[in-house]
Amino acid sequence: MMKNDGGVILFWLLLLFTLYARGKSYSVPGKPTLTRCRSPEKETFTCWWEPSSDGGLPTTYKLYYRKEDSDVEYECQDYRTGGKNSCFFNKNYTSIWVNYNITIVAINALGQTFSDPVDIDVYYIVEPNPPENLNVTIQNDKGWPFLRASWDPPKKADTRSGWITLIYELRIKLEEEDEWEIRDVGQQKVFNIYGLQSEGTYVVQIRCRPDHGFWSEWSADVQVKVPNYLRRNRSTWIMIIVFSAVVFLILSWLLHINSRNLKHCLLPPVPGPKIKGFDKKLHKSGKSLDAFKSLDVPDFPHHTFSKSEDLLVEFIEVYVPEEQELMLEKSNDLHDGCLKSESSVSDCDSGRGSCDSHTLLLDKSGQQTDTQDSQIDEQRLGEDLQDEKLSYAHQDMVSPDMSAGRVKTWPSVFSPLPQNRSTSADQASSLEMAKQHCLSDSLLPSEFLTSYHSLSGHGTRDHLGSNYWEFNFGNKRPNLTQPQTEARHQAHSEINIFTTGVKAEPTALKFPTPRSSDYVEVQRVNEEDSIVLRPVGSNYDKHFEIQQGEEYSRVKGVDSDNVLLLLQKEAMEEEMDMCPCEQLSGTTEAHYTKFSTSPEKPTAYTHPTPQPLEERVVNGYVDTATMFTMPPY
Amino acid sequence: MHTRVLHQSLWALLLWPHLFAVSAPLDCRDDPASLARCPSISQEKLLDRVIHHAELIYRVSEESCSLFEEMFIPLPLRLQTNQGGYACITKSLPIPSSKSEIQQLSDKWLLHSVLLLVQSWIEPLVYLQMTLDRYDHAPDMLLNKTKWVSEKLISLEQGVVVLMKKMLDEGTMTTAYSEQGAFQYDVQLDILESIMRDYTLLTCFKKDAHKMETFLKLLKCRQTDKYNCA
Repeated sequence: MMKNDGGVILFWLLLLFTLYARGKSYSVPGKPTLTRCRSPEKETFTCWWEPSSDGGLPTTYKLYYRKEDSDVEYECQDYRTGGKNSCFFNKNYTSIWVNYNITIVAINALGQTFSDPVDIDVYYIVEPNPPENLNVTIQNDKGWPFLRASWDPPKKADTRSGWITLIYELRIKLEEEDEWEIRDVGQQKVFNIYGLQSEGTYVVQIRCRPDHGFWSEWSADVQVKVPNYLRRNRSTWIMIIVFSAVVFLILSWLLHINSRNLKHCLLPPVPGPKIKGFDKKLHKSGKSLDAFKSLDVPDFPHHTFSKSEDLLVEFIEVYVPEEQELMLEKSNDLHDGCLKSESSVSDCDSGRGSCDSHTLLLDKSGQQTDTQDSQIDEQRLGEDLQDEKLSYAHQDMVSPDMSAGRVKTWPSVFSPLPQNRSTSADQASSLEMAKQHCLSDSLLPSEFLTSYHSLSGHGTRDHLGSNYWEFNFGNKRPNLTQPQTEARHQAHSEINIFTTGVKAEPTALKFPTPRSSDYVEVQRVNEEDSIVLRPVGSNYDKHFEIQQGEEYSRVKGVDSDNVLLLLQKEAMEEEMDMCPCEQLSGTTEAHYTKFSTSPEKPTAYTHPTPQPLEERVVNGYVDTATMFTMPPY
Repeated sequence: MHTRVLHQSLWALLLWPHLFAVSAPLDCRDDPASLARCPSISQEKLLDRVIHHAELIYRVSEESCSLFEEMFIPLPLRLQTNQGGYACITKSLPIPSSKSEIQQLSDKWLLHSVLLLVQSWIEPLVYLQMTLDRYDHAPDMLLNKTKWVSEKLISLEQGVVVLMKKMLDEGTMTTAYSEQGAFQYDVQLDILESIMRDYTLLTCFKKDAHKMETFLKLLKCRQTDKYNCA
């Protein structure tokens, strides 16, 4: 014992000596390090270490460990099973309940060096072996093959009892490629791979991992060759190509046939200006004046332009339910102002310029007062329409009860009387009547032209040059119904009311040429259902009215022939009745002017025929102003 | 003794620079990639592992029992474990069986009960293993399972001991548990009785394994939510 002790002491002294002696090149070994510990199945584990310099002397390594709950140092029992620089802990020495504290010692003749201690928990160092028996087969799925890979877990891993739960990972690539494609598999042991390249050779590998642990190594390669399955596809491609070629041919043929339409559709032609009578060449040649002159329409009343008379836009919309629907546009005088007024007033009828609203009517009155100018319309618009006198007729005027249909009256017909109106009472009522009239216009058939001869003897009226007259009859509907109906159903266009321009001289009894477009406005409808017309003159004053009273005829009525019976002035004085059943007291029918509302006879003729009337009838226009005298009212 | 002291003193002399290295506690990290670990496994993790262990044991024992039943027990005799005098060996143990009783146990007693159960089954299972080897047509799977179970049971015992040390700060409880003596290894029974005994053993063990698992899970439940455990 003493010998042993002595030997040991000597040995240690030598060690101590050599530790501090700076030998030639010998030294204590370097510090080893524990590189890794792995357990393949959570029942055993192995630790490996990395030695450093050995100090030039033969060095041995030892592994010591301590269990967590005890301070007893144990030395590794098995240095061989794990290979070089390893220590293997078998089942009996492996505990999953405690940590291991492991230290490596490098020992050589001069000394020993300890590594840093490392704590090991067996649960967390599990690195299973790679899965085994990887088998990849080709399955044919209706001509589109796919690969099926199957494998077994590593032998030592006890997955059956649930001791270890493994998840797998598969990777695949074409033989010639470098990049792997990785697929997560989960816990299953079979996996399918789709989307294969025809005639390609694939390489497949598999590995596994426990819940808390490390990935295993990749298993050995398994190669598989995919057969050629595109032969069928080739024929499919051919079919597709042929089909698309056929479709293309058809489309091009269709395009060719419809090339013009297509061109028209895609590149619509720019519409050129179309002005009737406009000569492009003349215009191009620079003679614009000539060009514009060519626009002259024979019937176009130029003089009215020059006089800037208030040519009311005679919008009469005639509505014939059964036969014709005549839309009355503006009169021959196209005035911007008129148009403006038209547009500015609200229409009872859809879009048609009708004297639907009282504003229009009032506008007319404004125009009348301020004649001469198309801008009058604007003024009219601005004016307080309430002040306007509306020379309409009377309360008896139009009523909505008149038959259905639209009646348009010429605005001028209903245009309000000039301000120096005799009866103010009429004004208010006229306005109302105008409203009513306008409203009823939309209701009454358009055939009705209402023209009243004003008995007031006011100034000339402007008659609308238009194609029709619409006559609205007043209260006495029952009486008038018949003739009205008749009249309605006739085209109105026949009857043209000749418009005479507003004379600058209100006093002049003369009227302008038959071509002038004076407006006749319906002053009112008197109690006998007679229309009181009066011309719409610019300088309308009472005096004028009186003087020109004779120029107006009163519509007596419409007889069975759909002839509008107008009374001459003298007759009107006596308050003749309008309708056939109405008789103006004391008046004779001698002075009746008959206006036919039949389409076939566009001209109006008097009955019993004042000759001058016929003279005046030109183109269906009757210048009532010239033919009749206005009875002084 | 002298040599020993000398050894140790010399070790101390050599290792004095490293004396402080080990004592520093490491941070508890759950990173499996690094080798440095907590110096000790946490209590939660330990409990989880023990429960996992017990679950597995129960599952395998159940499989073994059904396997044995199919192979060796005729139909009329099944589910008659408590008849014929073959009571469970652990019947005499002071282990509660009813739910209310179990709920009244404290954590300490739960663990103790588990340990008691485990320790009392180690030997019988070894014996079972021996008897099954003697069977003529015992399938390998059955043998493997029973072997596995006996091994795991030993491991479970260790785990419960460590757990007890951690949770209750108690020292290792030695197996001062005496055999009940219900085992009569030497008694030679006829084949049928032998089979019945083994069958009884397996079924009893299955029940006790389930009990162990239940106790441990209850313990875990109490760790997290004390008042809501059933």
